[in-house]
Amino acid sequence: MLFVLTAGVLSISIGDAVSSDGDVSQTIKKAMVPTNDAVKINTPMPITESTVLVSTRHQGGQFRTETRKNRIERFRCSQCHNNKPVTATDAAPIAHNDIVLDHGGVDKPLDCMTCHNQDDRDYLVTETGTKIDMDHSYEMCGQCHFRQKKDWVGGAHGKRLSYWTGERVVKNCTSCHDPHSPLFKKRWPKTYSPPLAK
Amino acid sequence: MHLRKNKGCRTNQTDNHCAGKQCDRREFLKKAATAAAAGSTAMISGCSNGILSPGEEFKLQWLEYFKKYYRLMTPVEKMETVRRLERLAKIRKGVDVKIGNQEPLDDVLYGYAFNVTRCEGYMECVAACVKENNLDRLSNTQYIRIFEMEHGEMTPDAGDSKFYHEVPVQDHFYMGVQCFHCENPPCVKACPTQATWQEPDGIVVVDYDWCIGCRYCIAACPYYGRRFNWNEPQVPANQITRKQHYLGNRLRAKGQMEKCTFCIQRSRNGRLPACAEACPTGARVFGNLLDPDSEIRFVLKNKKVYRLREDLGTDPKFWYFID
Repeated sequence: MLFVLTAGVLSISIGDAVSSDGDVSQTIKKAMVPTNDAVKINTPMPITESTVLVSTRHQGGQFRTETRKNRIERFRCSQCHNNKPVTATDAAPIAHNDIVLDHGGVDKPLDCMTCHNQDDRDYLVTETGTKIDMDHSYEMCGQCHFRQKKDWVGGAHGKRLSYWTGERVVKNCTSCHDPHSPLFKKRWPKTYSPPLAK
Repeated sequence: MHLRKNKGCRTNQTDNHCAGKQCDRREFLKKAATAAAAGSTAMISGCSNGILSPGEEFKLQWLEYFKKYYRLMTPVEKMETVRRLERLAKIRKGVDVKIGNQEPLDDVLYGYAFNVTRCEGYMECVAACVKENNLDRLSNTQYIRIFEMEHGEMTPDAGDSKFYHEVPVQDHFYMGVQCFHCENPPCVKACPTQATWQEPDGIVVVDYDWCIGCRYCIAACPYYGRRFNWNEPQVPANQITRKQHYLGNRLRAKGQMEKCTFCIQRSRNGRLPACAEACPTGARVFGNLLDPDSEIRFVLKNKKVYRLREDLGTDPKFWYFID
């Protein structure tokens, strides 16, 4: 009996010694080996969204993001935006009147051609003249919003899809922001909280 | 001396020799009671046509009443109680639930970060949490509370948590508060029956059936992280989340304590908690603190972070950060 007690006290004291720092930030600092969660955790359902490999790497390597082109109604743009004359009346308002352009504020308002490629409407174009695929629109946004892009690549801006582990798949800029008026709109909350019981 | 998280369920089974005697007595009582129940069943069904006979529900409930503390159960016993609870849910609610009891993953310590600059107060997380965790609709129980605060405020004491108007409001920011899964949790120390403890992956959980409803933990928690079932929780059968966990969102009863479990039924399967998945602004970051490549580690390394009431020494694993 005495032996069991002594052993118990010993094990408790050892346990305390191991975790004597008691500070989670110490635990975090010590953990420097990347864990390969993809091997250990079987994600029951694979992500079904159409994704594309991002050209930039994050701290853990390559990652994927949601595609954009398959969400654009009437893509390809060159179906209408070609050299042939458009015969339908009011074609432009019918096709694009839903777009509210509110990007850049009153000081530096953007127009369509700030981002869209004049010569090849299926693509975007950067300030330096590089053609950008619409699926990689983060390259466009990152020109001005470089801080947000850095955070997005690292994981402090935007969000992952469904899983915290496994292959990293994140939302694209345009998954959450309307590129034509990117600010989140005022709206009613989904629910409310009852008063706190005092 | 305080209980450390490393004394998780698995180690406790071997460590806790002193509990063996208690288990034996419990085992004896259970067997005796089961025998008595069986005897009375036979007796009653022998002399009537079954109207008074204790049904399946009664038998299951009887066995549930005499089951062990979750951390002392063997894997077989865990499986048995899970089966019973699934059957009881079917009998009482007519719902086919799937209750899991996944063990914590190795080399994982869950952490959470909340971007106070990004949150716009849309409350999508609260709604998702209520749905996912089968929270009581009658008393409108919510694990998450969003505070609307003026710029410059640091703690939610001065904030408004009952707002219901169009959001976001000019010159205000929003701060979500829920269980912080402290590394040094005061609620665990306060519990007289050890019904609440910290798992090796950092999640503070409650064995609902071991909770005696004394609510000491509510008093001990400095963050208003715990919720008590003052009434029998009511969840419409068609809204019950069927994928459940023994320590997570399984159906609770009146008089039991409950709290955020980082959606244990989801996170241990690699999924994001419901709040993080529902957030439309990406203000919620969840991940493994022990993985240097994870998003949460990026936030801790590169952003300005703070924790609520850090001076109390509770060491929460929930950080707030600003862009």
